[in-house]
Amino acid sequence: MRAILKIALGIIAAIGGFLDIGDLVFTTQAGALFRYDLLWAVVLGVVGIAVYAEMSGRVAAVSGRPVFDVIRMRMGFGMGLAALIASTIVNVLTLAAELGGIAIVLELLFDAPYSMFVVAAAIALVGIVALLPFGGIERFFGYGGLLLLVVVATVFHQNPDWGEVGRGFIPSIDSSTLYLYFVVGVFAAALMPYEVHFYSSGAIEERWTEENLKENRLNAIVGYGVGGILAVGLVIVSGFLFHPLGVEPDNLGTVALPMQGAFGETGLLLALGGMLFCVGGAAIDSSFAASYNLAQFLGWEWGRYQGPRKAPRFTASWLVFLLLGIAIAQSGINPVDITEYSVVLAVVALPLTYLPVLLIAGDRSFMDRYANGRVASFLGWLYFAVIVVLALAAIPLLLATNAGGG
Amino acid sequence: MKAEGDIYVVHRLLDEQICDSEGKRVGRVDDIELSGDPPRITALLVGEGLYPRRLPRSLARLARRISGPEVWGKNALRIPWEEVDELTSTVKLRKKAEELGLGLGDDPDRWIVRRLPWN
Amino acid sequence: MSATGRKRVRSAALLTLLVALLIGGSGCGDLSNDELNRGVESLSALAAQGRLVANGVARDATKTTYARAMARTLSEQAEHEAEKLADATLEEPGTADQRHAAVAVAEEISGLLSTLQTFPGDERHGELVEKHLGEAGEKADAIVAQLSGDAP
Repeated sequence: MRAILKIALGIIAAIGGFLDIGDLVFTTQAGALFRYDLLWAVVLGVVGIAVYAEMSGRVAAVSGRPVFDVIRMRMGFGMGLAALIASTIVNVLTLAAELGGIAIVLELLFDAPYSMFVVAAAIALVGIVALLPFGGIERFFGYGGLLLLVVVATVFHQNPDWGEVGRGFIPSIDSSTLYLYFVVGVFAAALMPYEVHFYSSGAIEERWTEENLKENRLNAIVGYGVGGILAVGLVIVSGFLFHPLGVEPDNLGTVALPMQGAFGETGLLLALGGMLFCVGGAAIDSSFAASYNLAQFLGWEWGRYQGPRKAPRFTASWLVFLLLGIAIAQSGINPVDITEYSVVLAVVALPLTYLPVLLIAGDRSFMDRYANGRVASFLGWLYFAVIVVLALAAIPLLLATNAGGG
Repeated sequence: MKAEGDIYVVHRLLDEQICDSEGKRVGRVDDIELSGDPPRITALLVGEGLYPRRLPRSLARLARRISGPEVWGKNALRIPWEEVDELTSTVKLRKKAEELGLGLGDDPDRWIVRRLPWN
Repeated sequence: MSATGRKRVRSAALLTLLVALLIGGSGCGDLSNDELNRGVESLSALAAQGRLVANGVARDATKTTYARAMARTLSEQAEHEAEKLADATLEEPGTADQRHAAVAVAEEISGLLSTLQTFPGDERHGELVEKHLGEAGEKADAIVAQLSGDAP
């Protein structure tokens, strides 16, 4: 009974922790520009991360290998190094965007300058990491992210045309480059690789074995699946309110306006609070993903549970990445702009980190009887094809649309 | 070991994580030493000095300038094959890291680590 | 001409082409009809967003720090748009009137949002700003309509 409770709590934390600044920005913009037409792309991305996470978690539990161990072992030093460099750039940019996002939300809640909040946020994160146990950190941010359930409440309060909403789930390809750019963006924001790298390393930290495979599947399918409902909700509330008015949500604060409209100050505070937790959790996840990947690739000792004495290089690299993130967040570039680039670059680099995991997950000599079955194999390869197509289209679309500026 | 058996192991052995007898992570198999006829694995090679070897020629020169020359005992270490205990998802060694001169990067007594505030 | 000579001519030609593309492509601040359109549309969008914030203030259904921060950001964006529109040289001189009107609307929107920034807790100000932003938004839409009418 206690085991079921523990797993349920883990899933709840995964739901709350699903969104990050990329999702907040891209879903809101997608709704404002295209109303409900991109809902299918959100679902595509949500299923994608569930597939990637389930495979990575399974590989970690059965073979004891986190993602970058798989990458180095399967692709060798040269290609692995390319994957590491690409992944590190994306993770640091993401971290900077999340730190900036925390500062923006704090600025909306309290009266103090942005740059002060960036530094304060980083210090708070270090404190949380140092003081809370690893699982506690995930739960802390995950439960806090559940405040964004106010978005779901807002959907029902708005009571949109459900027929129109339903049609948004049917894939349609508009020929406009802006639409295609947002297909890529919304998908990529849902399928951010740092989240999966963090998840797989966490599985090793928690010493997962074959016994955790059910939990892994539930986390991936229920946790991320239900978390995706929040992303869907954001598209709907934004589409309902912003699209008819022609509002262009270029600011993070705009994300909360529909909730303010529906539930006044309470709705606003719940929305901002939820945003704070999900962006904060994402800052932790992306900073650790950067250190995990580096340490795993080079063979260093690593792990939050090892502590600074046993894993000094890992810990030092984490602090260096945090400092880089602070520097970029302070550089005056709008975090929303940083987000556009971090999300697009993430999908460009995604094939490099996805393919090795897919190959090992399907390899019986590593996975024994837990290798990909027919469904997992089909989904795994289908998504590899989708990812490659989007990765190739991403940068041309970014340039053609001026990062969604039109 | 048959020749095919050797090559299969090399494919699975290269780039694997190395752990000492206590399970401490001490680097990856950056290169493998083969000697004799028929070729047999005689040692595992570990260290940043070996990275340029693993890169295509165009990048190798840049990498060599970054990692410096191979200095055996410092950025290139040799683990005799006899020290390998078992191969699972990691290469497990018979001895502790210190006895083989490994894991110095994460050794709390090293100078760079001593400078960190919590030491 | 020798092989090296031909190579030099080719490089020079490519370089000239590249420079020409860069200068021509960047437009050096030239404002085409499309870009003027875009600029005015974004003013309409800013006004609409500002109205939502002002509405929150008017109903006393928002947090003052949020309203102030949002008003400040939106006001700066409107000001920036005003400067962009004012600085650029027009590709089509016939749109000079619309550009002038657009700059005026942008300044008006920026001013209204500044007021909201100063009085983020005052319901009366919220009501007035909401109403006037609505009018400004309509002016912006009118300019867009004129420009579309002008376009072939």
